[in-house]
Amino acid sequence: MSSGGPEGRAAAARLSPAAWLRDRIGWDGIAHLAAKKEVPIHRYTIFYYLGGMALFLFLVQVATGILLLLYYRPSATEAFESVQYIMAEVPFGWLIRSIHSWGANLFVGVVVLHMASVFFLKAYRAPREMTWISGALLLFIALGFGFSGYLLPWNTLAFFATKVGTDVPAQLPGIGPLLSRILRGGSDVTGATLSRFYGIHVAILPAITTLLLGVHLVLVQQKGMSVPPSLERKKPRAMKFVPDFLLRDMVGWMIAVGLLAGLAAFLPWELGQKAEPFSSAPAGIRPEWYFLSMFQFLKYLPAEIAGIPGELLGVLFFGALAAVLVLVPLLDRKASLGRPSPWWNRLALVAIAGALVLTVLALLPPPGQVKP
Amino acid sequence: MTRRLAVFAALFAGALAAPAGPPTPTPPSTAVAAIGCVDCHLALADARVSPPAKLFADDIHARSGFTCASCHGGDPRTEDQELAHDPRKGFRGKPSPKDIPALCGTCHADAAAMKHFNPSERVDQLAEYRTSSHGKALLRGDESVATCASCHGAHGILPVKDVRSPVYPTRIAQTCNRCHGDATLMAAHKLPSDVYAKYSKSVHFEALMKKGDLSSPTCNSCHGNHGAAPPQVGSVSNVCGTCHTVFAEQFKASPHWEAFAEMGLPGCVTCHENHDIVHPTDAFLSAGKDGKCVTCHEAATEGARSAAAMYEDILALKKETDAAKAALRREAEAGMLVARAQFDLSRADEALTKARADVHLFQPYAVQQTVAGGLTIARTARAEAVRSGRERDFRRKGLIVSLALIGLSIAALVAKIRDLDRRKPPGP
Repeated sequence: MSSGGPEGRAAAARLSPAAWLRDRIGWDGIAHLAAKKEVPIHRYTIFYYLGGMALFLFLVQVATGILLLLYYRPSATEAFESVQYIMAEVPFGWLIRSIHSWGANLFVGVVVLHMASVFFLKAYRAPREMTWISGALLLFIALGFGFSGYLLPWNTLAFFATKVGTDVPAQLPGIGPLLSRILRGGSDVTGATLSRFYGIHVAILPAITTLLLGVHLVLVQQKGMSVPPSLERKKPRAMKFVPDFLLRDMVGWMIAVGLLAGLAAFLPWELGQKAEPFSSAPAGIRPEWYFLSMFQFLKYLPAEIAGIPGELLGVLFFGALAAVLVLVPLLDRKASLGRPSPWWNRLALVAIAGALVLTVLALLPPPGQVKP
Repeated sequence: MTRRLAVFAALFAGALAAPAGPPTPTPPSTAVAAIGCVDCHLALADARVSPPAKLFADDIHARSGFTCASCHGGDPRTEDQELAHDPRKGFRGKPSPKDIPALCGTCHADAAAMKHFNPSERVDQLAEYRTSSHGKALLRGDESVATCASCHGAHGILPVKDVRSPVYPTRIAQTCNRCHGDATLMAAHKLPSDVYAKYSKSVHFEALMKKGDLSSPTCNSCHGNHGAAPPQVGSVSNVCGTCHTVFAEQFKASPHWEAFAEMGLPGCVTCHENHDIVHPTDAFLSAGKDGKCVTCHEAATEGARSAAAMYEDILALKKETDAAKAALRREAEAGMLVARAQFDLSRADEALTKARADVHLFQPYAVQQTVAGGLTIARTARAEAVRSGRERDFRRKGLIVSLALIGLSIAALVAKIRDLDRRKPPGP
């Protein structure tokens, strides 16, 4: 529509404001892309909604996070009190903080389900390897958000759980202690760690997420929605992304909003007691649920295995698992060729079952401890 | 070492020059080894002589260089019993009870001598002992009373701070009870033998023995240790007041102070007992079976009315504080943040504690003043709980409205989806 030169400028000057805006933002191109985008209809279509749900929950986190920033103070002396103020004094502060905390957990849960569905439907096979890799990296970023955000209220549980968590990288030979020191901003978890985690949570991770999420979404648009290999030959029907799929997506988002509001009203996220760095660690220290399986696994490891420190082996094991997760599309050659790869499915099922069992074990009270 | 030898040589010389009296211990010397005594005494099967030799190895005096001969005299360098036990070499055998305080006092009452072992050690024990009921009776010739060795032991003497020592705070009561629990011995002295049984029911015993609070009183805390004697009627409140300072001051400022003195009543213990001091309750002020005031103040008298007024005030504050606590706890359990109100309410607990202390002024107005302050705090906290409850209700009502709006939105979306689906041409 628009073109350079005097004629083009004259034509543009005659446009209505709405048409002018559409012309400037290239709306027709976007509308064309949206009109072209289709979502296959088959018995696994429901899993396609998980990606949109994860994106929606991420946006909820961004919105509530920005509102919390208006009152939160990232220092060891003020962090706890500022969150207390948000919860008790700021109008609807309790709602925003509870939605942010509950939303973070739902977000991680949905991202994990999204990845599991993509894995079992073999959507990572060619030509969508990079979509998977960017998604797997986004999962790690989500976990990073969870880990860094956990400390920010500066309560006892978070403080000691972060102490344990930041001690894990220190097990790595060579760079381990340095890595732990960089994470903590010193030799121990202090106010410096809080400032650092705050910076990571509100600046570094959002910047990386924006980049990775952009890549991920562009790749999803470019490559389209994957159809499972078992259904590919049947050439399933499709629905328009706009408006058919988007409207259904919105139903899911509305349900998520209702769920978050219900959780915030009936189970406001606890604040606990202010962290006392010089007190001894209270009983029952544990991280967020999504780190529990790793936490429990490290607890079971003996001090040494074949002369190598148990914790180091544990860290290396999880590092290897993460690398395998990222590189699945390149390692699963059968899936790339469109053939079934049952061994990968079995491996994933064992990993999921193991993580579930370890999580349950971590949630059980230790032997001999009677609940008051 | 040279200085130590010089000091003890001087002491020894002084002891020789002293007029005839109780035996004096020989100071430690590198030239005098205990080995001779211990070697023989350990080898002997006589149960009277071998145990002391065994015990002495762990004795604080042995560790400081003292030997058997330091107290018993004699010559430990010879293996000949006659020579070793030769009175001409200072052998004095087992000291009699009447001689023990002075024997121990030879060093323990000598500041110059003790300075070489523990400069901060007291040297007034002997002087104190002589003022004690034990010391006075001993002076009268009664050898059944306690002397140094009765409590500290004779040969396996341990530092007082050693948990194994019979005079360590957690063991003192049992040590005293060895004699004071002996009904026959106590009957001879016209003393009760159930003191330990009573003490073991007290709050002090519970704090010391069950909670491990070493600052909690045991026998010597009130009676003194070396100067052990029962507190006189007039000094009871002073003795209790060494720990319970506020109560003691309030009691002295109360109308009871003079009245008790006139009536010869022993202050604190009149209401709280002496050995079986149980945890005081608010019911002490009541007219019921646990009431203490009513034991002296008859019903309808001013004293009984004052007690009743204080009792009612304290109960009112306790009731209001408990109600506020329960209300805030319910809010906290419902997920509401009431930490600040709970913290503020702790000041009502402080007021309750102070009101209970104010009772010792025996002036209802003082209690009433404190209670009024506490009631204001408790009522404010309770109001905060009510406000939190309203906020909780508001949230839940707001949730219902929100869910209704969300439900409507979902219904509209579903209607739109169905409408779109209806308009589509049938698929292949």
